[in-house]
Amino acid sequence: MEQDREQAKQVLHQLMELGEAMLVNGAEVNRVEDTLVRLGAAYGAAQMHVFVITSSMIITMVLPDGDEITQTRRILGAGGTDFKKVEALNALSRRCCSQPLPIAELASEIGRLKRAAPDPKYLCLGSALAAGSFAVFYGGSLVDGIFAALFGLLIYAMQESIAPFCMNKVIFNLLAAFLSGIGICLCGRIAPGLQVDKIMIGDIMLLIPGIAMTNAIRDILIGDTIAGLMRLIESLLWACALACGFMLAMSIAGVRV
Amino acid sequence: MMTIAVQLITAFFGAMGFSFLFHVRGRLILPAALGGMLEWGVYLIGTRFLDGVFLPCLIASAFSAVYAEVLARLLKAPATVFFLPTIVPLIPGSTLYYMMHYAVQGDMMLSQTYRELTIQYALGIAAGISLVWAVVDMLHKVRAKNHGGDDRSPDRNVGNRRRF
Repeated sequence: MEQDREQAKQVLHQLMELGEAMLVNGAEVNRVEDTLVRLGAAYGAAQMHVFVITSSMIITMVLPDGDEITQTRRILGAGGTDFKKVEALNALSRRCCSQPLPIAELASEIGRLKRAAPDPKYLCLGSALAAGSFAVFYGGSLVDGIFAALFGLLIYAMQESIAPFCMNKVIFNLLAAFLSGIGICLCGRIAPGLQVDKIMIGDIMLLIPGIAMTNAIRDILIGDTIAGLMRLIESLLWACALACGFMLAMSIAGVRV
Repeated sequence: MMTIAVQLITAFFGAMGFSFLFHVRGRLILPAALGGMLEWGVYLIGTRFLDGVFLPCLIASAFSAVYAEVLARLLKAPATVFFLPTIVPLIPGSTLYYMMHYAVQGDMMLSQTYRELTIQYALGIAAGISLVWAVVDMLHKVRAKNHGGDDRSPDRNVGNRRRF
């Protein structure tokens, strides 16, 4: 019936919104596919065919009367990981699985969660703490840690300001590595006694795609080989860009450790 | 002894820093940070008794995965929330740096050594978590089978509204 089909289209649209929000905030592909299948069933689909990779979502919902609806979405801007949002979206989907919300309410809930801006002070604190701790972890002194923390803040600032202008993450990594590399080397020249290498390592930890790599491995294991391989290659490229950026900075600023 | 203590403490704070970066919910931050410290401890113990880097890495990352799964059940949160901050101390930042450093200086032999170390770290991490995740996933499937049907399959929902 026309009415059912219209409703189903809207439901599917909201499911796409939810799935996209989860993906962009760092949920695993497996979790997103699973969630969408369950939600679709809860809202009355006879079958759900869900295909998700990091850059695209394709869902076909088969209605009880045999009618099929397909929607696709291109995922841009693989953003940072935000577990708070992922958990909130997860909780919302759990709620809807046991007690499906009316479409309008679902839409506004999803919209609200999507719009919630991440708290910048956690990002600042996290960047500084992580970079500083790891500089000391790898053998630096407390002073090295403080410098690493400061450059960690710089990297965060770059992520906020430059990243939107970069074509993709590879370019951003190259740039961020280069700029912080130059900065750190210059500091090393001005203030002797600083272990420039430890400071750089501390800041590398912020940029290194270790997270992306472990997610890639998980995706491959779960059976999403395509999604996993894509992410793996992406993260290898990022690592290379990082290496190139720092190497360039080091050879220009002429570090002698 | 002192270095070990420093490493453990900074692993704790490093993992905590990454918890902040990932917007981990308030009361989950401490367990995640603790995981980082424990994992590094496991790695250190591993290097004491085993040669090389690959095996201790494997054991340590397997530990992280198990730790994350256990906490996920206990604290009712997705396992990734605990897993990612915990695995961070193991990520080969320093070997990557020295690989580049010696490459820039022209010392290809040393650069090669560090490149191999980096790869060993990465493979160790991959192997460790793969093992644990494969086992956990199999346990899930066995449990689902015993509870009457794999509820991931959409084909069972013909016509009904399933309630999960």
